[in-house]
Amino acid sequence: MNQGDILRVDNLVTSFDTEFGRLRAVDQVSFTLGKGRTLGVVGESGCGKSVTALSIMRLLPKPSGVIESGEIRFHGEDITKISNVEMRRIRGKKISMIFQEPMTALNPVHKIGKQIQEVFQLHFPEMGKQETMQNVVRSLKDVGIPDPEKRINEYPHQISGGMRQRVMIAMALACRPDILIADEPTTALDVTIQAQILELMDRLKKEINMSVIFITHDLGVIADICDDVLVMYAGNVVETAPVFSLFEDPKHPYTQGLLSSIPRLETPRKTRLPIIEGMVPSIQELPQGCRFQNRCPDVMEICRAQSPEMTVVGQDHSARCYLYSNP
Amino acid sequence: MTAYLIRRLLLIIPTFLGITIMAFTITRFVPGGPIERMIAEARMQKTGLSSTRPLAGDQTQPLSEEQIQELKKYYGFDKPILVSYFFWLGKVLTGDLGVSTRYYDPVWDMIRDRIPISLYFGSISLLLVYGVCIPLGITKAIRHKTQFDNISSIIVFIGYAIPGWVVGVLLLIIFASQWEIFPLGGFVSDDFQDMTVFGKVWDLILHTILPLIAYMVGSFTVMTFLMKNTLMDHLASDYVRTAIAKGLSFESAVFRHALRNSLIPMATHFGNNISLILMGSFLIEKVFNINGMGLLGYESVVERDYPVVMGILVISSFLFMVGNILSDICVAIVDPRVTFE
Repeated sequence: MNQGDILRVDNLVTSFDTEFGRLRAVDQVSFTLGKGRTLGVVGESGCGKSVTALSIMRLLPKPSGVIESGEIRFHGEDITKISNVEMRRIRGKKISMIFQEPMTALNPVHKIGKQIQEVFQLHFPEMGKQETMQNVVRSLKDVGIPDPEKRINEYPHQISGGMRQRVMIAMALACRPDILIADEPTTALDVTIQAQILELMDRLKKEINMSVIFITHDLGVIADICDDVLVMYAGNVVETAPVFSLFEDPKHPYTQGLLSSIPRLETPRKTRLPIIEGMVPSIQELPQGCRFQNRCPDVMEICRAQSPEMTVVGQDHSARCYLYSNP
Repeated sequence: MTAYLIRRLLLIIPTFLGITIMAFTITRFVPGGPIERMIAEARMQKTGLSSTRPLAGDQTQPLSEEQIQELKKYYGFDKPILVSYFFWLGKVLTGDLGVSTRYYDPVWDMIRDRIPISLYFGSISLLLVYGVCIPLGITKAIRHKTQFDNISSIIVFIGYAIPGWVVGVLLLIIFASQWEIFPLGGFVSDDFQDMTVFGKVWDLILHTILPLIAYMVGSFTVMTFLMKNTLMDHLASDYVRTAIAKGLSFESAVFRHALRNSLIPMATHFGNNISLILMGSFLIEKVFNINGMGLLGYESVVERDYPVVMGILVISSFLFMVGNILSDICVAIVDPRVTFE
């Protein structure tokens, strides 16, 4: 583990017990997260990005979801092995998470102030009542909520979606965590609010000097705020690179396809947008060999026979593709 | 809030008028009433038959036309329905529910005698239903699909499948007849007056247990599963995941976050339960020979004792409507999203 790395995930395998048997939603995922860096995780729905995040938080739905193998090292300690009590001390204090749906992520029957206050009570039980309330107000002020003294007595249904996501961020950042995992935090918001929330997250990240794992399917957002990118496809990492080299020189055919399907200002009007043909294979019936073979424009004989491994293709840049490696 | 409550209370009036007009009209058209009973009684005296039921083909009319007219006048059947309805309503508004056509007792006195008994069973079963179903539902939700959950589900569903009065009969056969642990029925024993205080309490408890079980059997299942299923829904909700992501243990997340949300549907049922419980259940009261409101209502319908039927209807519909308002207040207390405007 490098000095600057705060989180290192090694060969993570997360499975779900379903009526079709045990299915691997996340298969052999590895990555590292540097201190103060923002890692973007991008991929289509069902590719395992959220499950990866929930595995790190150990918030997988019980009892069906289990971490089958692999390590998640946080400050060098494997948090897949620690007890539930120890994990509770990390959750919300060292590693926090915000979710996609601000409308349902807050408890509808408790006041906003009470829900934030709970974080302080949990992780700083020695803190006095008055000090806690001051901290609650401060944390709401930090996320740009006007009139925080008044807001703490309001219920979630009384404020807008953007405000609720701000409250979620305030709650997640209350204890100044080392890592914030944001699972599509702006997907449910409209575009102007989305920009505000991204800007806010970026500012707070720098203030606290925390690391962020940002899960999204929006490549524009990735380009905007991320330092490194992890591209996932059908439970695998297919490419990982610093954001600049990924956009400049995507290696994996899937990443290339994703990037070319973004509409650009310079494309002439009324031209057809390139798309990636076909469908993601469902994890019940993964093909033998590369999981992208049925949609890949550069598919070769070998791709149908065996799975490619991650291959270094440049500075901090790897891809899971036989175009760059000889089996 | 106040404005809302006043509006709801005012709405009771038209609803109440609607209910009572309907019931009053029906009592007029249903065959068999006080006059028919008088005729039957007179015929019985004439012929010396022991049955009050007229024999088939027995067309002899024991009363003269004048006598029948006089009876109709006495019971107010000579006037049009609406006229006698408003005559009855006027008396109700002054607190006079009329006189039983069977016992010639004031209806209000008859009902007043029964209320404590129904209230006794009703409030105990209400307390027990909420006191047992909420914790049981919570435990079942947390331990979903464990042995405890499966076995308790089987028991609770068997209870639900059998009507309360059948359960009552079964309980009587097993525990009162076969094993003679509990008394066969009644509210207290015959020698209740001569007992010591402790003896009285014990006697009351013995007489209470079996009917209470029969009372609770139905609503018990509904409330337990209502609690379990709503809690399970909430356990899978986003805000519970948020709570755990904050660092709460699963148990704290259940009790601090999911529970209050799951109580909302329970609160909705609260007011309805109040009116149901005060009115009792005539079948169970019949089985256990308890003189509650349920039995009174049942007998008055069978005997066409219309003033009593109407009197009970007045009280039960009133309670039902007040119960609805109470439910709304309960929901507003647990759910801040509900406001009265």
